[in-house]
Amino acid sequence: MLAISLLTALLMLFIYKKTSNQEGIRLVKSRIKASLLEIRLYQNDLRTQLASQKDLLLANLKYLLYNLKPLLVMIVPIFLILAQLNLWFASRPAAPGETFLLKARFMKTVDLERLRLDLEVPPGLVVETPPVRIIDEAEVAWRLKVTGPANEPLVIQVNGERYQKIIPLGKSRLTRVSTVRVKRNLWQELLYPGERPLPKDSLLEKIELGFEPQKLNLLGISFHWLVAYFLLSVILGLVLKGPFKVEI
Amino acid sequence: MAGRKNEESLKRREFLQLVLGTSAGLLLAPSQAFLRTAGRKETGPKVLVLGMDGLDTILLDRFLQEGKLPHFQKLAAAGTYRPLRSSIPPQSPVAWANFITGTNPGGHAIFDFVHRDPKTYLPVFSASESLPARHNLRLGNLTIPLSGGEIKNLRRGRAFWQILEDYDIPATVFKIPSNYPPVETRQRTFSGMGTPDLKGYYGLFNYYTNEYKTVTEEYGGGGRVHDVYVIGNRVEARIPGPNNPFKRGNPETFVDFKVFIDPVNPVAKIAYQDQEFILREKEWSGWKRIRFDFIPSQSVTGICLFYLKEVRPKFKLYVSPINIDPADPALPLSTPENYSRELAKKFGPFFTKGLPADTAALENDVLDEKEFLAQDEIVYQESMAMLEEELKNFHSGLLFYYFSNTDQRQHMFFRLIDRNHPAYDEKLAAEFGQVIEQTYRQMDRALQLAMEKVDRNTVIVVMSDHGFCPFRRGFNLNTWLLRNGYHVLRPGTRPEEVSLFQATDWSRTRAYGVGLNALYLNLKGREAQGCVRPEEKESLLRELAHRLEQITDPLTGEKVILKAYLTSEVYSGAYLPEAPDLILGFNRNYRISWNSPLGSFPRELIEDNGQKWSGDHMTAPDLIPGVLLANRPARLERPALEDVTAGILSLFGIKIPPEVTGRPVF
Repeated sequence: MLAISLLTALLMLFIYKKTSNQEGIRLVKSRIKASLLEIRLYQNDLRTQLASQKDLLLANLKYLLYNLKPLLVMIVPIFLILAQLNLWFASRPAAPGETFLLKARFMKTVDLERLRLDLEVPPGLVVETPPVRIIDEAEVAWRLKVTGPANEPLVIQVNGERYQKIIPLGKSRLTRVSTVRVKRNLWQELLYPGERPLPKDSLLEKIELGFEPQKLNLLGISFHWLVAYFLLSVILGLVLKGPFKVEI
Repeated sequence: MAGRKNEESLKRREFLQLVLGTSAGLLLAPSQAFLRTAGRKETGPKVLVLGMDGLDTILLDRFLQEGKLPHFQKLAAAGTYRPLRSSIPPQSPVAWANFITGTNPGGHAIFDFVHRDPKTYLPVFSASESLPARHNLRLGNLTIPLSGGEIKNLRRGRAFWQILEDYDIPATVFKIPSNYPPVETRQRTFSGMGTPDLKGYYGLFNYYTNEYKTVTEEYGGGGRVHDVYVIGNRVEARIPGPNNPFKRGNPETFVDFKVFIDPVNPVAKIAYQDQEFILREKEWSGWKRIRFDFIPSQSVTGICLFYLKEVRPKFKLYVSPINIDPADPALPLSTPENYSRELAKKFGPFFTKGLPADTAALENDVLDEKEFLAQDEIVYQESMAMLEEELKNFHSGLLFYYFSNTDQRQHMFFRLIDRNHPAYDEKLAAEFGQVIEQTYRQMDRALQLAMEKVDRNTVIVVMSDHGFCPFRRGFNLNTWLLRNGYHVLRPGTRPEEVSLFQATDWSRTRAYGVGLNALYLNLKGREAQGCVRPEEKESLLRELAHRLEQITDPLTGEKVILKAYLTSEVYSGAYLPEAPDLILGFNRNYRISWNSPLGSFPRELIEDNGQKWSGDHMTAPDLIPGVLLANRPARLERPALEDVTAGILSLFGIKIPPEVTGRPVF
C-alpha cells in the first residue's frame, strides 16, 4: 500500500505539474495570503475589510478553477488504480474452515423456478446448502465451505450453459481477490476488472462471492483500504511537492 | 389485570432504561486509564481452581462409584474429596460471593438474587446497580449526556485476587459469578454470572413466527414473540436493541432484517446491515455482529445467534439475547479492558452474558431440549477452547476458571431423572435422561485437560458453590404470611390478583417476602412505612421461624421448610443491617414458588412445579453441599466456601486478613 501510494503521489504530482497553470496558482495563492494579511491589519477599517473579503473570495474561486483541469485529468488514472486496488485490498480470500455466500444475479425477466440450475464445485469446496431462490431480486444464493485448496474455478450451469467463477482461497492477506464477475458492459468491466466478463447474451448479470472485507492496519489502527490509500497518497504528495517543485 | 401488567412492565422499562442509560454514558466517558496487569511474580506454587457451578455430591458420588469420571477419581485419590458447605442461602451469587471475599453475606452484602428497596418495598437486583449520566444537555429531541454513567458492583468486601495483587501474585479469574462489573484490579478478570445482555436484561431472546405463541417476559429476562407474515417468501422484521439514551424518552433501538425463503427448499437467506447468511432449517448461525445506532456518531455493537427452527408450514426463527460484543464492549466486561478484546481477537465472538444458555427459551417451548443442548454445547466448546488457552498461558500465580453448564443443565433436566417430579416425561426421559450424567462427564474432560496441561507444582482445586435437588413443589411465602395475619392487604382486594405488594396495607403488615429465600420484617425506622418496633423484632422473628418450620405439605406429609435462619445468628460483618431478617432453608424437593418472590399472593399455599426448570438449590445448605476436590490433603473435615479462599491465600503464604472469616482448608 505504501509503495502504491508513493507511486500515486508521484504520478499525481507529475500530472498536476503538467496540466495546471503553475504560475497562475502561485500568483493566486499570493493574492490569498495578501488578502488574509489585509484583513488582519485593517481590522478597524470596515471598507477595506469588505474589499479584502471580496478579493479573498474571488482568489479562492480562481484557485479552485485552476485545480479543476488537473483534477479532471487525474480522475481517469485514479479510477483505474482504485479498481485495481479494490481487487487487492477490499476482501480477503476465504480460508480453510470458513464459509461464504455465492450469489448469482440473473436478468429480471428470468423465471428462477423454471431455470435448470446446477453448481459444480472443485475439490476444496463444499456446497453446504440448497440454493435460496429470491424471485423478486432475481438472485440465487448458496453457502459454500472451504475444506482445502481449490485450484479450479467453480461452474454454474444455467439451462446447460456453463459459467465459471474463480474462487480465491488461502490465508494470505495480499492476494488478488476478484469477488465479482460481471456481464459484458464497459462501466461494469471498469469497476470489476478481475475477471473476463460474462457473455453479453448470458441470463446471468453477475456472479458474486460474499467474502469478508479486510481492513488495513497502520500503526495499530485499522483503516478501510480507501482511507489508508488516500491518506498516504496525500501525505506523500505534500511531502514530495517541495523537492519536485510543484505548486499546489 | 391488564392495568397491573402495564404497571409492572413500566417499572421494568424504567429499570432497564436506567441500566442502559449508562451504556451511552460510558461511551462518552473518558476511556479508563491503561491498567497494568498485576506483577508477574514467579510464585512457588501455582493454584488452578476449576469452578463447576452446582456440581452435586450425591450425583458425583454415584458417577464416581459407577467409574464414569476417571479424572475426578484420580484427583480425589491424590488428595481431597469432601462436601463443601455452601452459603446461607445456597444461591450462586451469594455462594460465589462467600468464596470471593472469604466471608459470609454479612461481610459482602449479597443475600439473594433479589433484594428489596426498603423505601418502596420493590424488588431490586442484588448484584449491580446502574446509574444514568447525572447531567444531560437537551437539544430538541436529542439528549446529550455531559458526564459518564455508572455501573456499580454491589458486592462489598475485597476479592481474593485483590489481596493476591497486594502481594504481587498474578491471577486470572475467568467468569466468576458475582463480579459484574469487574472490580477494579490489575489482575486479568472477566465477569461472569450477573453480566447482562446488551439490553440490560439477564437474557431476552426474540422469536419471530406466524404461529400463535406467547412467552413470558420475566423480571429481568425471558423473551419476546414477534408476529410476522410470510409474503412472497419474504419476512421482514426488526431486532430490538438497547434503549437510545441520546433521544428524549429513551426509545428502543431496532435493526431491520429480512428473511428470504426459497420457494421449495427448507432454507433461507437472512440479511441485515452489511450481513448476509444462509441457514438451513434447524441450523444455528454461529455468532453474528449487530450494530445499534443511537445518533450518527454513536452506536453499540452486540453479538447474537440465529436459529432457523422451521421454514414451513409455519415460520419460526429464534434470535438469542444480544450479548455484549467482547471485541468492542459497550459495558465493562474485563480488567484490563483489553483482556476481552484479546480473547475476541483470538477466539472470535463468544458468550458474554452471565447465564449463557437460554433457559427461558426452553421453558417457553421456543427451543426444545435438543435445541437448548445444542446451544449450551456452544457454551461448553467455547469454554474448553478458552480454558486450553488460559492453561497455556498459566505460568505462575492463580487461575480460576468457571463452567456454567452443570448449573444450567441441572436446572432444566432434573425432571427427567426424578420420576416423582410433576414434569417428569417418560418419553423425554428416555431421550434426555442421560444429559446430567453426560454433563458431569464433560466436566471430567475439562479436568483431564487441566491435569494434562499443568505441572507437578500446581495445586488443582475443583469446587462447586452448591449441590442440586429436585424442585417439585413451590411454597407461596407471601400467601402464608397473609393467611396467618403477618401481611395485610387493603379491604376488597383479591389476593391472587396482586403483584409487587400493590395492595398491601403497610400500616398493619408485619412481614413480607422478597427474593428466593428472604423474609423481611416491616421494621420501624428501616422500612418506609415500618410498623414493627425494634424491641418486638426478636420475638416476632422467633415466632415466625418456629411457625414456618412447622409447615407440612398436606400432599406428602413432608416439612416444607427445614430451617428458618435468623440472620443475626448466622451472619456477621458490616453489612448485617442490610440483610433480610430470616432466610428460609427449604426441605429437599421444595423451593419458593414462582410468584411469591416478587410480592404476589397466589391462591395455593403449596403448588406443583410443572415447569422445565425442575432442579434447584434453595434448600437448607446442609442438604445440598457443593464439592471440593484437590490434589492436596484438606485440614478441615467440613470445609466451607470461605475456607477455600483462606486456603488459597495460605498456599501463597499470605497471612489471612481479619475480614476473611474462613480458616485455611489446605
